[in-house]
Formats: sequence, C-alpha cells, structure tokens
Amino acid sequence: MTSASGKSDVTLTIDGVVVSVPAGTNVVDAAHVIDVEVPIFCHHPRLEPVGMCRMCLVEVGTPSVDRATGEVQRDEGGQPIIRFFPKLQAGCTTQVSEGMVVRTATPDVGDARRSVLEFLLTSHPLDCPVCDKGGECPLQNLTMRYGPGTSRFSLGEKYHFPKPVPVGPLIALDRERCVQCARCIRFQDEVADDHVLGFENRGRGMEIVSFSDPPFDSYFSGNTSDICPVGALTTNDFRFRGRVWELESVPGICEHCPVGCNVSNDTRNGEILRVMPDRNEAVNEIWLCDKGRFAHHLPSEAERFTSPLIRRDGVLVPATWHEALGLVAERLRGIAAADGRDAIGGIAGDGLCNEDLYLFGRFMRAVIGTNNVDHRPGIVRDDVIARAGVGAQTRPTEIGLGTAIVVVGLDVEEEAPILFLNLFKALGNGARIIVVGGQPQKIDRHAEASLRYRHDTAERVLAVLLSQVLGRLDEVVGGTSPIGEALEEARSALRAALSGYDAAVLEGEHPVHAVDLESAARVIAEAEHVMVFYGREAEALGLVPALGALVAATGRAGGPYDGLVAVGPHANSQGAADMGLLPDMLPGYRRIDSRQAHDDLIAAGWPAVCATGSGLGAAAMLEPESGIRALLVLGTDPIGDDPGREAAARALQLLVVTDLAPTATTRIADVILPAAALAEREGTLTNMFRRVQRTQASVPAPGDARPDWWIVAELARRMGVAEAYGGPEDVIAEIARAIPSYSGIDYAALGSAKASRPSDPFLPFAPETESRKVSYEGTRYDLRASEGVVWGTDSSSAEERLLPLLAWRPRTVSVDAGSAEGPVPGRMSLVPVTRLYDAGAATSRSPVLKPLIPRPYVEMSPFDAAARGLPEGTRVTVRGLRGFLNAEVRLVDGLTPGVVLAPRSLAWDLPPDALTEDGATADVIVERAMSTVTEPDRQSSLNPALDVVPDETIGNAAADQASELAAGRANQSDHPGEGL
Amino acid sequence: MSERFVVLRNREIADLDRLDVYREHGGYAQFERSVRDLGPADVTGIVKAANLRGRGGAGFPTGLKWSFVPANDKPKYIVVNNDESEPGTFKDHEITLHNPHQFIEGALIAAYAIGAGAVYIYCRGEFWQEMSHLERCIEAARGAGLIGKNLFGSDFSCDVFVTPGAGAYICGEETALLNSLEGELGQPRLKPPFPAIEGLYASPTVVNNTETLANVPWILEHGADAYRAIGTEASPGTKVISVSGHVERPGNYEVPLGTPFAEVLALAGGVWRGRSLKALLPAGASAPVIPGDVAMTMNCDWESVAGLGSILGSASFIVMDETTDMVDVAARTTRFFEHESCGKCSPCREGTFWLNGIYGRIMRGEGRPGDVEVISDVVAQIDGTCFCPLGEFALSAPRSTILHFGDEYAAHIGTKNGGAPK
Repeated sequence: MTSASGKSDVTLTIDGVVVSVPAGTNVVDAAHVIDVEVPIFCHHPRLEPVGMCRMCLVEVGTPSVDRATGEVQRDEGGQPIIRFFPKLQAGCTTQVSEGMVVRTATPDVGDARRSVLEFLLTSHPLDCPVCDKGGECPLQNLTMRYGPGTSRFSLGEKYHFPKPVPVGPLIALDRERCVQCARCIRFQDEVADDHVLGFENRGRGMEIVSFSDPPFDSYFSGNTSDICPVGALTTNDFRFRGRVWELESVPGICEHCPVGCNVSNDTRNGEILRVMPDRNEAVNEIWLCDKGRFAHHLPSEAERFTSPLIRRDGVLVPATWHEALGLVAERLRGIAAADGRDAIGGIAGDGLCNEDLYLFGRFMRAVIGTNNVDHRPGIVRDDVIARAGVGAQTRPTEIGLGTAIVVVGLDVEEEAPILFLNLFKALGNGARIIVVGGQPQKIDRHAEASLRYRHDTAERVLAVLLSQVLGRLDEVVGGTSPIGEALEEARSALRAALSGYDAAVLEGEHPVHAVDLESAARVIAEAEHVMVFYGREAEALGLVPALGALVAATGRAGGPYDGLVAVGPHANSQGAADMGLLPDMLPGYRRIDSRQAHDDLIAAGWPAVCATGSGLGAAAMLEPESGIRALLVLGTDPIGDDPGREAAARALQLLVVTDLAPTATTRIADVILPAAALAEREGTLTNMFRRVQRTQASVPAPGDARPDWWIVAELARRMGVAEAYGGPEDVIAEIARAIPSYSGIDYAALGSAKASRPSDPFLPFAPETESRKVSYEGTRYDLRASEGVVWGTDSSSAEERLLPLLAWRPRTVSVDAGSAEGPVPGRMSLVPVTRLYDAGAATSRSPVLKPLIPRPYVEMSPFDAAARGLPEGTRVTVRGLRGFLNAEVRLVDGLTPGVVLAPRSLAWDLPPDALTEDGATADVIVERAMSTVTEPDRQSSLNPALDVVPDETIGNAAADQASELAAGRANQSDHPGEGL
Repeated sequence: MSERFVVLRNREIADLDRLDVYREHGGYAQFERSVRDLGPADVTGIVKAANLRGRGGAGFPTGLKWSFVPANDKPKYIVVNNDESEPGTFKDHEITLHNPHQFIEGALIAAYAIGAGAVYIYCRGEFWQEMSHLERCIEAARGAGLIGKNLFGSDFSCDVFVTPGAGAYICGEETALLNSLEGELGQPRLKPPFPAIEGLYASPTVVNNTETLANVPWILEHGADAYRAIGTEASPGTKVISVSGHVERPGNYEVPLGTPFAEVLALAGGVWRGRSLKALLPAGASAPVIPGDVAMTMNCDWESVAGLGSILGSASFIVMDETTDMVDVAARTTRFFEHESCGKCSPCREGTFWLNGIYGRIMRGEGRPGDVEVISDVVAQIDGTCFCPLGEFALSAPRSTILHFGDEYAAHIGTKNGGAPK
C-alpha cells in the first residue's frame, strides 16, 4: 500500500491503535494522525528533526526477530513478541517501522514529560502575564497539561538576563524565556537559506545570536517568532501591543507582491495589530516575508480621503458621493458628446481586486464605449500566459526532481520573497536552477548556470540558449517529442532562423561563458519539466516572446510544472490582465474584434461592447497629443511614477482618481473618490500562478471610503446603466460567466476551508486535531480559507495555442551590430530594479520597516566606480536625457561593468523608471555630485531641450559628455539592430 | 612489578619520538608491510583477531568499527581522538609527546585498512606545545616518504593533519568532535547515521583514540595471538592507566588488562602519607565512585569494573584517601559537568545547572533539609532522557556518593560551616 505521497506505508500500533503512515514518518507525526499528542518543543514538521528538547520521549518497542531465521518471534497466542528499548526514545527522531509498538500513556513517559518541563521551567522567568506569547504558547499549554504544579527550583538561582535584546532590527530575544530548541536557527538554515543565526556559548549559557552584518539579515525573520515555542522571539511590531485573546483574526491575502500569501489580519477595535501567515499548502505553506508581516499599517484617518473631493476654483472641497459621482457622470457625458468616446480613457492599478478591475473594464468598454483602458505597471500584456502558462495542477510548493527552473529578468527574493522559499525547497527536492539576468541575486548561489546578459541586447542570449537547447534535444535526448505536423514545421523554421546563434555571437558583448550556456542548455534539455519564471525586467526588455518560444519549442508549455510564470509587480498583476484591462484584448484574452466574444459578453450581462479598434495604453494616454480629454485613474499613481507626465495630465479636462490617500496624481485631480484599502474590503486576487484567492474585510473603512468596484458600479448607474451588484459575490458571478477560464470560480467556496482541500491527509499539520493545537499554537496550522482555484490555460489544441509563439524571431540578427561605433565614453546603462524594502507608502508607514529603507543609492561594479574615482558612499549624479538622479554609490561585486542599478521607489527626486523611455534601461553618465548643485527645477531637468548644464556647476567636460550622450542616442536610433 | 610496555615503549627506549630512533626499533615497518604485502581486509582481519578494544572509554572492538566502513565512492577519513578531556586522564599526552610515531603509524595503517586518504588528529585545545611537536614528527615522516602520495610505490596516498579543539569536554564524544572538526558548534549529532557511514564531511569516517591506534603497529608486528596472550580473554592487551590523587607516585602505568587494582596502586606507591583508601574514581569524573574496600577487589578490565557498578572508561584512576570530603567530590564533578554541558538537550543543560546550584549551596553551608532528595530526583530525571551519554556521566558522582557516603551529606546539611570532615 502506498499513500498519496508515493512512499510505501508502514503499519504500527500507538497506544493500542493501529495506524498506517508513510515510511520515513517519525513517531510524533504518526501519533497526530490518530489524535494522540506527543508533546514537543524542538520538533517542527517543516524542519529536520534534532531531538534536542527531549519532550517527546515515549516507549518504543519493535518485534523481536530470530537472528538465525530472520522471522518475527511470536508468543503462544501467535502475537509478535515486542522488545522494548531499555530507555525512552525521542519520538521526533525515531522513524516508524513495521510492527512497531509505541506507548505514550505510561507512568515512565509521564515522568519524563514532567521532568523535562520542570527542567525547562527552572530557567524560565514565568512572566506569562507580560509575555506576548501568553495565550498561544506551547510552553504554557504543555505545562498546564503535563507539567508539575509547583517548582522545586530555588528562585534565587535563576539565570537573569537583560530583556529583551535585539537579534536584528525586527526581532528581539528574551534569553530568559528561550528553551534553546534551535527552531529559529534551523528555519533560517533549512527554509530561508539565510544562515545568519547560531548558538553562542554552551550549556546554560548558550544563547541565540546573529552573526550576520547587519544582524539577522533576512527577509523572513518574522517567521522565527511564529515557530518559537515560547515567548523568546517577539517582533518589534507587536510586542506589548495586545493580548492575543483579544484579537479577532480575519483571513486575507497579502497585497505586497504577486505571490498572494495567505495572511491572518489580527485586529482589535478596528485596527490591525499584527499580520500572521495563514496556512496555504499551495502558496506560502505557513510562512510570510517580513514586508508582508510588518507593512500592514494603513494611513491614519487624518491622511485618508474620507469623503469625495471636488476641485472648485482650484480648491478641493468635500462632497457627497451623490454630488461627486453626478458631476463625473455629467462631465463624461459632455466630453463624449463633444470629443467622442475615445477622448475618455481609464487606467487602473494592478493591486486592485478582480471585481474592481473587471467592472472598470466593463465600464470603459460597455458604458463609455472605448478601448482606451489599461492597467499599470503590470507585466502581462498579451495572452502568452493563457497559451503557455504552467498547468493548473502546478503547486509551487511541490516542485521537485526532474524540473528545470529558469529564472529570467527577475530577482526572485526581492520581487517575490516566498517564491524564493518555494524554489529553495524545490532545490532540496532535486530541481535545478538556471538564472538568466542582468545582475547578481541571492538564488545565483544555487544555479547550475548563471547567464549574465547585457540589458540592451539580452534577447540574443535567449536566442543562443534556445538554439542550443533545441540542438541538445536532438543529440542527447534523442529528439523532441512528436508535436504534430504544423508545430513541427514551425519549430523547424524557428530552428533555421536561429542557426548561427551560437556562443560566438555573444562574445565580447555579453559576459556569458560558453560553458555556462552549454550547461544551462543541457539542464533544460534533460529536464522532465521546465518552468520559466520571468519578472518585470524581462517584460521591459521585451524578452517574453522569446520565453514563449522556448517553452513552445521544447514542448514545455501548459502542462503540470511546464510553462511560464509571470512574476508581476503587484498582488493582482495577473488578474488585471485576465480581467481584460488591456487596450487590445477583452476579458479572458479574447480579441477585441471577435464577434463571438462580443456575443458572450452581452450574454454575460454587458449592455454593449465597443466596436472600435485597439485603444491607447496607459503610457500613451498620458502623452501630450494623445487626444484624451478625460481620464479615470483607479488605485494607481502614474504621475508619481513619472512626473514627466504631469503636464499632459494637467491639460486634461477631467481627471478623476480613486485612492486611499494623497499621491502626485490626486494632487492634480479634479475629482478624488475615497477608496477602501484591501484590508477594508473583500474580493478576489489572482496570483502569479493564476490562483484566484479570496480576501476578506478585516477592519472598517473610514468615513465614506468605498471599494473601487462599488465606485465604478455607482458611476455606471449614473451614466444610465443600472446594475444590481449587491456585493463582490455578484461581480465574481458575472466574471465566471464572462471569462471562460474563470467559469468554475465559486465565491462562497473560495472563502471556505472545506473547499479544495489537499487530497493527501498526511501533509504535515493536515489533520486539524486537538493534539496539534496544543503543541503548535502560535502557528496558523489550521486551514481557514480554501486553497484558491487556479484557472487553466487555454484548452484549445496545442497547435492553436503554440503556433503563434513559435513565430518569434530574435530582433537582433546582425552579429556585430553595435560594436562598430563603440560605446560613448563613460556612458552607462541605468537599470531600475525592484527591492523588497522600498520607500513605498506601505513600507514607509511601518514603524519597524521604515528605518530599514535606504536613502537613494545606485549600485555599480567596483570596476566602474574605480574608473570614475567613486569610492563606496560617494554622492553622485546620474544624468540621463530625461533628467537626473542624486544618489549614493554602493559597490556590488559581480555586477556587470557598464550597468548602474537604481532601486525603484526610494525617496528619489525623480523615479528611476522616469529616466527610461519604457521602464527598461536608460543611457546615463555617472559623476561625482558637485556640492554647489542646487535642487534643479524639475520641469527643466525633464526637458532635454532645456537640460543645459550650467558650466559653473559641473564644468565643460560634463556638458560635453551630456551632448555626446545625446548624440550617441541619436546615432543609435538609426540602427534598429541596437537597443530597444 | 608487572608493567608491560606495548604503548609506552618510550619508557624503555630513549628518544623514541625521533623518527630515526623509532625506525631503528621497527617503526613504520608494519605500515610498509601492510601497504606492500597485505590487503586492507587482511589488516582489519588481524586487528579483529587481536580483539583490540577502543581505549577511549567505551571499549568497542576496533576491527569491527573499521569493518563498518562501506566500500563506496565517497572519500574516507581516519580521525584520531586526541582530545583527552576526561579529568585525571593524561595517557594520550605522554604518547603524543614521547611516542608519537607509534600512533601516527597506527593511524596510517587504519587509513590503509579503510581506504582513507586523510588522517585528522584532533587534539585537545590546550595541547598547543604537543601539537607543534606532532607537526614536527609528521613533517619528518612526510620527508621520509611515509606520508604523502603513492606511498611505497603503491597507489595508496594518505596525508595527516593536526587540528586543535577549542576546549570543550563534549568534543571527546565522536560526533561532537566531528562537528568541531568541521568548524561547527561542538554538539553531538543524531545517530544514525553513524560516523562509519556519514562522519566527517558526510563521508565514512572512523574515529579512534590515540592509545587504541598506538596498539596497532605492535599487533601487526607480533601477531594477534601474541596480543591476546596479554590481558584477559575479553579484554586483551595492555592499558595505560593514569593514576592521580592521593598516591605517592602519580603517573601513567601500563599494565596488562585484568591486573588487580591493588597492584596498580602499589606501582603508584600506594595511598600517600600512609593513609587508607577511602574511594576510587576509576574513570575520571564520569565514573561512579567505588568505596575503597570494594576497589581493592577490583581487576583493571572493563568487565570487572562494570561488575562493581562502575566503568573502566579511559582508566583514569583518581585515588582518594580517608580525609576526602565525598560531598565535595560530588560538588566538584557536578561543577565540571555543568560547565561542560554542551546545552543541546534540556535535561543535561538544565539538570546539571540545577544540581550545581544545590551543591554550591551545600558547600557554602546553606544546605537545606530535602536537598538530598531533590538531588536524587533530579538525577533520576536526567537519567535516560539525554541526547548523549554525557548527561548520564554527570550523575555518577552524585548518585554514587549519596549511595555510599550518604551520612556525609547529612553532616554537611546539618552544619553551618560547610560540614567538611576534619
């Protein structure tokens, strides 16, 4: 017999009950299956057993075997003779074996438990009344259940320490409470791959220390506080803020990245006091990154928009919803009548819920009647994920042997921290990793090959890689799998187009080693599964079509653990595209000119579908001559992200913005509509694995703030299209009708733990037994919401899905393009990058994270810095055609010379993305900042024509460089082979 | 008297630590013969036949230990446990200083037997002078072609390295030693896997005591039968016994296993100052004390000592005369174990701390009625619940002193001056 986990089962008897569990299970976990508690402190089902605390001692016997015959010896009754170990055995380090007999309810076991508890309590301060763990503390629980009632230890002999002391910036240690179980150390080593904690000293003097600099240098430090079985590790965010029994826990989805971690918002009196991970075995297991945990502070009510605001004579004045929406509707009608429907545009943020986004798209297309609708920043621009995304059965937590993980243009840990944990776990299960990127990252250390590209011609690296993979598939593996005639033909054509793309193509242009290319190609070709994760940089550099071709040509698209994953910038980057917030696609990636799609949407309840051609994208709508007169902006700040758009925005006749609190965009809005924060409303979000999950309202919205879907629906009503949406459940029901891939979504089921439960009952923690509650309290082992539902990729034939992807051809065909002119002296390539701790609103409002936000800095290779005489910490000016940045220099070993990285969303005068044309790269000059440089007028710095550098501040040489830069740029555009 | 030098041949041969002297007296000939003429299995077979037992304390059959090493592709290691941290033990110290080549040769023979390419000699951290001496001896052997690549023209290569410990008693336990050697915290590892399967750097490893390995060249030279002719049936060979405490001539005495304790005591000049024997700690701090009259019936082999409720261990005899305060003995050993507890498991970490507190109180004259009962309870609570044997070593002195000298506790607790017998 085998279990769902594929291991053969072992049958044993625990306290007289016969139970079968997979081989390799330990006694503690086996006992939980039949709700027998074997109490533990150091053991944790997600960590390797260590057997340190000795709390789990039990009597263990095994069948006596005749040495001569190998037969189990039996008594007269035919029962196996059981031979018990002379000593009690640690249940956590004892693996089950066939016929084993375990006794947990004997006097000896009781004595041992009482003994270990008495020992642990000799050092314990017994300060439960002021301990944050009190009420959810395994030590407290187990003492009540198994411990001695009184202590014989002499109070005066207790060890005393100053308490608490910082282990790092977010976590403090109370050494008096620590029971030295090493869970925190082991979590950091085994799960987080941040080897920053250890024991110092020995015996009773042994204590947890961090030996990293800065201390506890990990994005996952908060998890150690959850799994700490006592109150030794507490977070600076929650310590002394409340008693856990006063908290009301509401399940939610984290809003900070595309992973979609399940969280528990623990609230009191309408305020979130802490965020804990909620268990979802298909997403975050029981972990959460520190940003997700600590960046939960909403703007104060004083900062919030609590009622609609209308600009009258240049001044914003409060208004009722009736007044504000009535005004907007009237103005929109007027503009549509005067300038046409296409004079109106809509832009939504990709952090909003599906319900908001869907209704907004529907409003623009069916009520206004324009395709000028888009989301931003986003990453999914077309249907490549629908065609070649990983199969719906894929569980990121169970990636394993035989899988090649290809990471492209993505810093896994910085952009999607829990995905890093998924991939690190996958490595342990035998997966292999290939990294293709422009800069070093943490996961490089585990990569079989790290291919470092030059950003401007990065696509060539993928072309060479794909060419080698296809070659390998023929040579080594004995041919690619049969895929049908048309596909075969397309693949041959692609191969032919890629001929000549060998390692030599990259020589001198990309810091890629031929041997790494070969090993990357080998790993991909030999893998049973290929998963390609790409990030914002890959999208900005235009690499996505090449990745589509890679998975299509290797036949690794759309199956379980095969295909693409778009790791977007926000919690609903995938959902925003699914909902049809694209100027050239309807919901569900249907063509805007598809008659069938129009009919289906009408059938789903749309009053109409606009029949015009492709609309304008988000960036185009804010171009000066876009023709847009009225713009609706939902939950995003396009002006803050690119102040260069402000003039165009000011020129609009009507700018309507929904948001929580002031932004650069609301500052110039004509009407501001107060939105509810994610924690204040319910709805669904679609994560990067296309998993649709439900989040619930945990605190009330202040004043008149409302969810965006409600705002859009009310506006539609005032535009004459009355719809009866009682709540998000009605909207998602319509989404299920309108988008075929969402057809199975059931809002009620998404909120229920009963739905879509894991099928394997032996997942660690799975049975929600009383016995687990006692030992694992403080960790959210119970399932409180469903796992979510993953929408399946396009179910049409492989040919239909993949043929268009095979039509990709590399844009840069000329092998030696670019090298002829040589680079402009001193020119560097500015690359905006995403870092977890940015100066965004959420991080800035967290009192514990705020000190961790760095001042604006750029990263350069020591080589470049030395060439410019810029030691670490120098103040520099990074000057591009569209403006300049002031920053401190940090030196990064392994960074490609010629590249300067600028983390997005620091306290920049001008966001790095604004220096780039397209969010990808910008040509810049980096020079030492002159002390006499004063804050320049932003308008002039953004206008190349006005960007005349005053001689007295930076001198002629720099001015010459700036003009050279402009010249180089101009030259470049004559050579389409170069640049993007 | 009845000393017999198998290991401490330096007692009979001057300057035996010099390579030339050692080689004049047959040194490295057995290593050369092994590599040239014997197969690895033959070597292991001879050591097995001699029934050489580990001298570090446990007395585990050495040949059997070697035979556990699997024939796989992983690198293999010999680690010499030269940590010698048991209070009262100083035999490996003498071997290291005065007969180092003999155990180095033994280690090289062991390396050949299991196919190890490297020998690590893990030395007690305080052995800094001894370590530089060892380094010089190893350098000399390397210079003579006895250590290095393709030894004696064969395809067997082996190097020898000396590594210092960092001053932890627990690092005498073989898995804690391996952790320490790898640069990790000196705490014992979970077994299985045993070092023979996954030891140093997760590769098959044999950890042998210095004295154990020093026996190996002799066994190969004289044969298993000659070796078994020394000592007892179950415990063949000699044992270096470190005698300290209240004797006239403390020092190392190498005698055949099974020698009566009375003879060893006599070799050491008897109890000093004409006093009488009160008690014996036969294995440093970790053995239960044996009352003097019982000790006089004891023979020095593993079986005999175990029969008296104690252990032979590494045979470090601490002799105590009639003036000894047995509560103080327990207090001092307890302080030692509290200081040396690695902290990995709760019973040892917390229990030794608790015991030490009570003993400290008693010795300050602040003992309370009921303290002996609490000590006995704590001892019982530690017993059988620890991760490694060290926790139970810590119980030997309290338990055996309460058993045999309970009235001294009563005297201590009943007085205000600490109650030491005058």
